[in-house]
Amino acid sequence: MTAAVDSGALLELVWAAPLAAIIVVTAWGLVVYGTARAGDARRDGRTGQAALHVCMAAVGGTLFVAAIVLGLIVTTAKG
Amino acid sequence: MDSDIILVIVVVTALAFDFTNGFHDTANAVATSISTRALAPKTAVALSAILNFVGAFISIKVAATVASGIVDSELITTTVIFAGLIGAITWNLATWYFGLPSSSSHALIGGVVGAAFAASGAEAIFGDGLLEKVIVPALVAPVVAFLTAGVCILITYRMVGRLRPGSVNRGYRLGQIVSASLLSLSHGTNDAQKTMGIITLALIAHGTLEGPAPDPPLWVIVSAATAIALGTYTGGWRIIRTMGSKIYKMDPAQGFAAQGGGAAVLLTASHLGFPLSTTHSITGAVLGAGAAKNLSAVRWGLAGNIAVAWVLTLPAAAAVGAVTYGVSRIFGAGALGPLLISVSLTMLIAAMFGQRLRHGPPVAPAPPSPPPAPADA
Repeated sequence: MTAAVDSGALLELVWAAPLAAIIVVTAWGLVVYGTARAGDARRDGRTGQAALHVCMAAVGGTLFVAAIVLGLIVTTAKG
Repeated sequence: MDSDIILVIVVVTALAFDFTNGFHDTANAVATSISTRALAPKTAVALSAILNFVGAFISIKVAATVASGIVDSELITTTVIFAGLIGAITWNLATWYFGLPSSSSHALIGGVVGAAFAASGAEAIFGDGLLEKVIVPALVAPVVAFLTAGVCILITYRMVGRLRPGSVNRGYRLGQIVSASLLSLSHGTNDAQKTMGIITLALIAHGTLEGPAPDPPLWVIVSAATAIALGTYTGGWRIIRTMGSKIYKMDPAQGFAAQGGGAAVLLTASHLGFPLSTTHSITGAVLGAGAAKNLSAVRWGLAGNIAVAWVLTLPAAAAVGAVTYGVSRIFGAGALGPLLISVSLTMLIAAMFGQRLRHGPPVAPAPPSPPPAPADA
């Protein structure tokens, strides 16, 4: 019976799925963190830091959008 | 004439299953979003319904019919399909009544397995297929999702735990809208396809469609998409309450970690050809996101009840499928048995929905969300 289970795919799932999830939440975490800190910096007149945090949010946003697009590709590829 | 009537009964029953699948699984996509007030309840189910409808048109790969590789397809008749559907609908309604999330796919597989067993005996069932497609994924999904969501929420708190709660909560509520949308689209793609596959199989058995793997007619696609969307819009509020607030009352960051982490696990598994149950993954992720912050705040008794429901899904749906097949055969091989069973089930569903409508509001207003815990929490 054990031959029925694709142990290779199962092992890959065990490390790849958490990795994908960590990338997604880290990416969105960068967006939330960057946006919040950029707002604080702008209010305090620290425009340099604000720009840095906006860049951080942009990097996170790009990663997040890429993850969503990849998710859509996986969803649609089944058709 | 009898075969025409049985075909109509199977099509209507398949659409009824699709409807229960929609309202039973609404919670997977929207429960945490509603709980954290990322979306208003009605907006959440409307968004989810629209995306389920759209998702149903993305994939029409009916060759991957449910229970293929688990039951000998040569032995599947329209009556077996009918009995399997009744087993799945009954289990979906029972778990909905008790507010327990459980896998609609496993219920359908269980129903078909039970009916096929009653019709043809043990040789109709492939044990290896059952192990590979049902038992191992049922063990893997919640564990991987639990650990993943736990790690995700710890990373999230480490990143944003020292920021002001207002902007953090707003940010994660926005993220939850995206993750709920992706889950809804994915659900429509996966689950409406099962109904399309069943109706197509019945049309082949009836002789309406020909060929080894014909595409489903447009009316099949549209009706399956409509049934799952209507079911989703109806909203399985009892299960939404369980997943959204009864297991653990989440803050928006936890809601996002559970949904985002759960979606990443599901889609990665799908990409690897190791499809997991959405219900098992999201429930595991909700538990993981809660337990990582505060182990004792998770209602483990309720989690235990859910686990028992998962264990019982396959045998219970199989038992109902087998009994339904047996009762149907008492009335001969014609349409009378399925017709009587359909009418009885319809009356039961009407009574249950009537009771649900009399008893009230879908979801109580959520209390204000707690701020994210500090990084060292």
